[in-house]
Amino acid sequence: MEYLVVLLLAVVYFQTRVMELKRSVVCLMAQSAIIACACLLAGLNHGLMHALIPFALTLGVKVLFIPMAMLKLIKRITDEREIFSDINVNYSTMAAAAFLVFGYVLGSRFMLDPLARDFFAATIMMIMTGLALMVMRKRAILQMCGLITLENGIYLLGLIITEGLPLVVELGVFLDVLIAVVVLVILTNRMSLSFMTTDTTVMRKLKG
Amino acid sequence: MELYYILGLPLLFAVVAATNMLGLKLLHIADRLTATVVFGLILHMAAEFAAHPHEPIRQGFFYVDSLSIWMLVIVGALYLAFAWTSKAYLERDTNIRYGYLRRFTHLEGRFYALSHLFVWTMMLVVTVDSLGLMWVTIEATTLVSALLVAFKFTRTSLEAAWKYVMVCTVGICLALLGTIILYYGQLQAMGDVLPLNWEFMKVHADMLDHDVAKLAFCFLFVGYGTKIGLAPMHAWLPDAHSEAPALTSGLLSGALCICALYVLLRATAIVMPVVGLDFISSMYVGFGLLTIALAVPFVVVQRDVKRMLAYSSMENFGLLAAGFGLFMPLAAEASLLHMFNHALVKYMLFYTAGTIMETYATKNMMRIHGMMQQAPKTAMFWLLGIVGILGMPPMGVFFSKFYIIASFFQAHHPYLGILALVLLAGMLIGILYHAMRMLGGKPTRKAAGELMGRLDSCVLLLMLAVSGVVSAFAYELPYVGTLLTEAAKVVMGGVQ
Repeated sequence: MEYLVVLLLAVVYFQTRVMELKRSVVCLMAQSAIIACACLLAGLNHGLMHALIPFALTLGVKVLFIPMAMLKLIKRITDEREIFSDINVNYSTMAAAAFLVFGYVLGSRFMLDPLARDFFAATIMMIMTGLALMVMRKRAILQMCGLITLENGIYLLGLIITEGLPLVVELGVFLDVLIAVVVLVILTNRMSLSFMTTDTTVMRKLKG
Repeated sequence: MELYYILGLPLLFAVVAATNMLGLKLLHIADRLTATVVFGLILHMAAEFAAHPHEPIRQGFFYVDSLSIWMLVIVGALYLAFAWTSKAYLERDTNIRYGYLRRFTHLEGRFYALSHLFVWTMMLVVTVDSLGLMWVTIEATTLVSALLVAFKFTRTSLEAAWKYVMVCTVGICLALLGTIILYYGQLQAMGDVLPLNWEFMKVHADMLDHDVAKLAFCFLFVGYGTKIGLAPMHAWLPDAHSEAPALTSGLLSGALCICALYVLLRATAIVMPVVGLDFISSMYVGFGLLTIALAVPFVVVQRDVKRMLAYSSMENFGLLAAGFGLFMPLAAEASLLHMFNHALVKYMLFYTAGTIMETYATKNMMRIHGMMQQAPKTAMFWLLGIVGILGMPPMGVFFSKFYIIASFFQAHHPYLGILALVLLAGMLIGILYHAMRMLGGKPTRKAAGELMGRLDSCVLLLMLAVSGVVSAFAYELPYVGTLLTEAAKVVMGGVQ
């Protein structure tokens, strides 16, 4: 478990530094794979079935389906009008580090178990970093990566503090994430058709 | 058993419509048939329920009490209105001369499938029994309606849909966090029997830890507040409401946002005993009034006709939140009634606004004048709807708004009541100014003629009439009074 936290933190840090679309999706895949392992390890204490279902779902939905759909989308979209409006990546890495410290400060208040505290800090960092990525990145696919990072963080937090949500709810959450990605892929595809780019800064007509 | 039919039929129709199996004519007929049967079943269930209002229906994952029934009636009424106006709308929108969708074919099946699926998810929201499933279904409504918002795939509608999905999903993720924290509280206090089950948690609510419940409430309020459209998380609302097809705007404004409010109210009922009334009440009232205050200036400077209606919806959601936040029987009943009235009148207004947009081929209110001369029937409905939504007697909204404002004074918050009145007056001035400019004056633009048909005008008139009659005689009509009182008790939780 300790190694998983370290790996997870490394992947999320790397995520903040990646600007290329394909690499970012691969990062996301690695991140989800780590979460799936954590699922398996955390669930084993409570019987095999309790561990296997979330593990299989995470593997199927977040490690395979979502990245595949995004990679397929990246191949198809035409970024003819590329606009590099992203600010320096160092800001987001710095922000992620600050979030991690914040997570530890918060964790030391609530939790005594050091391993749980490590995981807690990691989830807080993932949630905040996901939010930051959604705000700071301008390209549609990077924003989607931010959204899924945020979702992963919340899922992991649920895993630590409550050992997973009730099974029906968990199934529903997975279904929602799946549909959300499908909807976002459709929208991004349309965006690249009608704006010739997937940079969301071009969408600024609706105001007031 | 009825519940399964109510929830099964729209889904069945959605699947059939998505396959494009039926011809266009058959599709319209099946659409109307489904909605009418579903609404009939809902009314039947409501009538049966009102006879024994203290026995909630529990079946599988479903839990239906008076509040759920009231919400089902609202969603069902809009569903019925949708089904009986959709043919006229789609025919206008695909008209070869002026319709926006004329360049596309075979859209009807997709539009119907998505719309029915959307209504289906909203019905699920108000009938499921656990807070976790409520979260799942609320997120599902966002996703289905996002495809409807982007239905025309214009640049602006894509922008609106993108913003809608992004902002709402983040908001809803925060609500998931709140739900997880609440579940943590439940595990600590009550063990893992019936996880997140609303009824169970409600009974054992006072066992929750104070801090955990408060934290959970904050996340839930921000999360579902985003979906309701409370300021300052409302950024998606005017965009999505204005860019969606007119019928979808009506459903979004009339039913979706109050479904989110419903879930928030359910969650509030659980945390209320330990968090305390003061904190919760001040959150509701404060953010509610802030939402109204933010909507007023945007209405005054507005140029887009549907955006104006969207800000008017924000005003009404703000008023609803403030009304529920008082936690008084009168205010809760008035707010529930206001949900109903607002849904009917706003759906009718969005439909009329869609007609106006087709008539004049513009959304810009500054370019539309002299509707009275060019399209008298549309103009009459526009005037009736505007008068209705602003809360002038004898329209239904008058009664509900009046009772909400009256309960501010009864709750010994006279200054808040005066503030709300001033804000509503600002809203009235803003909307009336724009509406009157559109109605009167000399026509400056070529109009496509009178587009309001016979059937859809009957439906719109009926909606206004039903809203007026139900509000004026809420306690004289059979069932309505009982349902309202019982539903208000559910909203109030244990507060007297």
